[in-house]
Amino acid sequence: MDNNLLSMILGGVANVVVILLLAPFFQGVLRKVTARIQSRQGPPIPQPYYDTFKLLGKEDIESGVSPRMQRFATYLSLAAILAVGCLVPMGFHSPMNGAGDAVLLIYLLTLSGICVLLAGLAAGSTYSLVGISREMMTMLTLEPLFAITIVIGALHTQSFRLDTVLSGAVYQTAGVPVSGLIMLCVMLLSFQAFVARLPFDISEAETEIMEGPLIEYSGPKLAIFKYAQMAKLVVFSALFIGLFVPWGSELPFPFGWLLFWVKVFVIVILVTVVAATHARYRIDQAIRFFAALLGVGFVALILASNGL
Amino acid sequence: MDARERLNQLKEKFGPAIVRADLPDERRLFVHVDPGVVKAVCRYVFRDLDARYVISVGTDDRQYSGSFQVYHDFAFDADKILCSIITHASSDNPKVECISDVVAGASWAEREIRDMFGVESVGHPYPKRLVLTDGWPDGLYPLRKDMDWNFVPKEYDEEREFKFDETPAGCTVVPFGPFHPTLDEPAHFRLYVEGEVVRGCEYRGFMVHRGIEKLSETVLSYNDIPMMAERICGICGCVHSVAYVQAVEAGAALKIPPRAEYMRSIMLEIERLHSHLLWVGLACHLVGFDTLFMQSWRIREPIMWMAEKITGNRKTYALCQVGGVRWDITPELRGELRTLLDKLESEWIPVVSAVLKDKNIQKRTRDVGVADKKMCKEMGLVGPVARAAGVDIDCRRDHPYAAYERVDFDVITHDTSDVWGRVVVRAKEVFESIKIVRQCLDKMEPGPLQLEITDELPAGRLGLSSVEAPRGESHHFVITGENNKPRRWRVRAPTYQNLQGVPGMIKDQMIADMQISLGSIDPCFSCTDRLETVDIRSGETRVWTPEELKKVARSKQY
Repeated sequence: MDNNLLSMILGGVANVVVILLLAPFFQGVLRKVTARIQSRQGPPIPQPYYDTFKLLGKEDIESGVSPRMQRFATYLSLAAILAVGCLVPMGFHSPMNGAGDAVLLIYLLTLSGICVLLAGLAAGSTYSLVGISREMMTMLTLEPLFAITIVIGALHTQSFRLDTVLSGAVYQTAGVPVSGLIMLCVMLLSFQAFVARLPFDISEAETEIMEGPLIEYSGPKLAIFKYAQMAKLVVFSALFIGLFVPWGSELPFPFGWLLFWVKVFVIVILVTVVAATHARYRIDQAIRFFAALLGVGFVALILASNGL
Repeated sequence: MDARERLNQLKEKFGPAIVRADLPDERRLFVHVDPGVVKAVCRYVFRDLDARYVISVGTDDRQYSGSFQVYHDFAFDADKILCSIITHASSDNPKVECISDVVAGASWAEREIRDMFGVESVGHPYPKRLVLTDGWPDGLYPLRKDMDWNFVPKEYDEEREFKFDETPAGCTVVPFGPFHPTLDEPAHFRLYVEGEVVRGCEYRGFMVHRGIEKLSETVLSYNDIPMMAERICGICGCVHSVAYVQAVEAGAALKIPPRAEYMRSIMLEIERLHSHLLWVGLACHLVGFDTLFMQSWRIREPIMWMAEKITGNRKTYALCQVGGVRWDITPELRGELRTLLDKLESEWIPVVSAVLKDKNIQKRTRDVGVADKKMCKEMGLVGPVARAAGVDIDCRRDHPYAAYERVDFDVITHDTSDVWGRVVVRAKEVFESIKIVRQCLDKMEPGPLQLEITDELPAGRLGLSSVEAPRGESHHFVITGENNKPRRWRVRAPTYQNLQGVPGMIKDQMIADMQISLGSIDPCFSCTDRLETVDIRSGETRVWTPEELKKVARSKQY
């Protein structure tokens, strides 16, 4: 039992450390690839590390209508995403397997959206309020998609256990996994929105509402918020891999682990290319799009409950 | 129909109310009318003769005729005529008939005349201060001749605030500007928003009016002004300098050498090329499509280098003087420019075909910022905004100047009236510009660049000039004067009219479309220095004074 607890804690810490170490690297890759697509030189790949360190060293300015809430939202956003990181398998099996199940995962994912709301409320500017109303609309239509995927996996395997759901449970049916394949398409189409990248970075939309909820952030708090966003890309990639492309994770140590990061890398490149070749959607267009996906998701859920 | 026939039409209709008329040539018409019939004449010209409204100009003519004068400029585009309807107001209690209720697009111009000359437009529907700063005392009129250019009023009131109109019921206020990342210059749109939908707006601009016109009448001379005119705008400076010298040349009846005309056309088209490529990039940036933004600016950069090779500067070419130009194209540069145009064309073709096929961009621009034919007519909208609505106007063809009569090109129009149409028009106009520069290079003959001017320019002559800027018609109005300087110079940049169309374009649209709608007219405004915070919950508005702001910024508390 003690041994089990120790491995849980060590595994969780390992995941958190790896995410924190690698998140800026992937952001750097994203920026470099974007730059190459745009015929630019681009910043050196370690630039996000430098940026983060520089921001962390700046003066901590209190601003907005509620500075305390602003600080709280910052820490909570990083904490929430790292907690998700502890629940997701990252080249090994999920470290906190016994401590939480897939339902906890859904809650924690929602929490990171809530942080954006808190941040926007704390700033209290018109732009941030517009930003959070957009974020709310996005969350309401988007978050059920993850829940549906997890529930479909659970229906197929009769289990909410993390290691079961996050190892391709959506495909585990007797025949052709129709519902699983449908959800794969749905999640591919909405993935940009989950990681808040173009064409769905609507709630921040620099050229419209000046970063919306983040408008009052600067210095260390901005660094942490940005860090959370970078970590989000990695964690959601890991989630996607666990749900839809888990193959190869059971390979012996360095291979399975390396294969996992190669997959993350591929997803990051994919996200970059989509972001660099699309214009931003308007909130009403995006909501219509999400609602259509949600409809498809419900169809998949009905299929899954009938064993397909 | 030429100018004389138009004049006969007016005479037939109004008889003795047409006091006097000048016809310097068949393309210019100056009609002095009785103050009592101005509105009727303008209505007739605008509605029945279907002329396009250009601008209204006030002048202080008390020294010469003992009265203020107001010029209403109209254009008969199909007949290639520019026309001024001229009236006067007495010097002690200056009042003229208002034409804004007949010609909606004259609203700003009449407010400006009231601000600058104190000439009241009787019955103006919205007589609010437009140009003067908030603290400027009432009853002092900067453009009157008896006010010195460096006069500072003692009664200037720092504390006086601008009063916005009442917010419509059920709406919250979203301030757009004065400083916003998508505005290249400060300007303030106060948006009245219901949810995400814009229900109306109020505009406050002109806050850092630079007084260029006053300076030109007092401390500058004829050949200083082209340099000043060029600095009106950071993008289409050459347009203003050409338009000004052309207005002077028209007034003084100077005919410049052909090579100078070709040089003007070439530089104007180079300017249009870089401006359109810049705009396509910016528009893409506004809708979050940075890849095309970067590509478009990469393609644009060599044009800037070429401009630098010809004139010594990337922008502000210092090209024009009254009677000619200062720079020439050497045979080596001519070859280089040709190579550049070929490369530009081959690079722009794939970009245009990519944009025209892109569903994603169309989704953000179709049916957005709609200004239809009727609105273009009412508000006097010009340039790509009008052409995207199918209004076939282009000063290069309609009011030919420089070498445009000797080259062959198409006027691009579109029929969607929305932002998408403006994207298509601008993207395709790039090819027309390339065509024009090529023809100019072919047809240019060696010769002098500057007309020899031996006599002093005659005073009191009127000169009108319209130049097609990348954003639309740039109209300059000059009255020549004594002491080697103009008596009056009025600049009407295309944005002056197009900006008045924006409230109509953004009404009942999403906030997200505000940027691209405003961006689609390619705005170019003067600056403003005001900050406002609005408390959404209580609906209270607080305007910060500069002192308060400084204090807050230093205390780091708020």
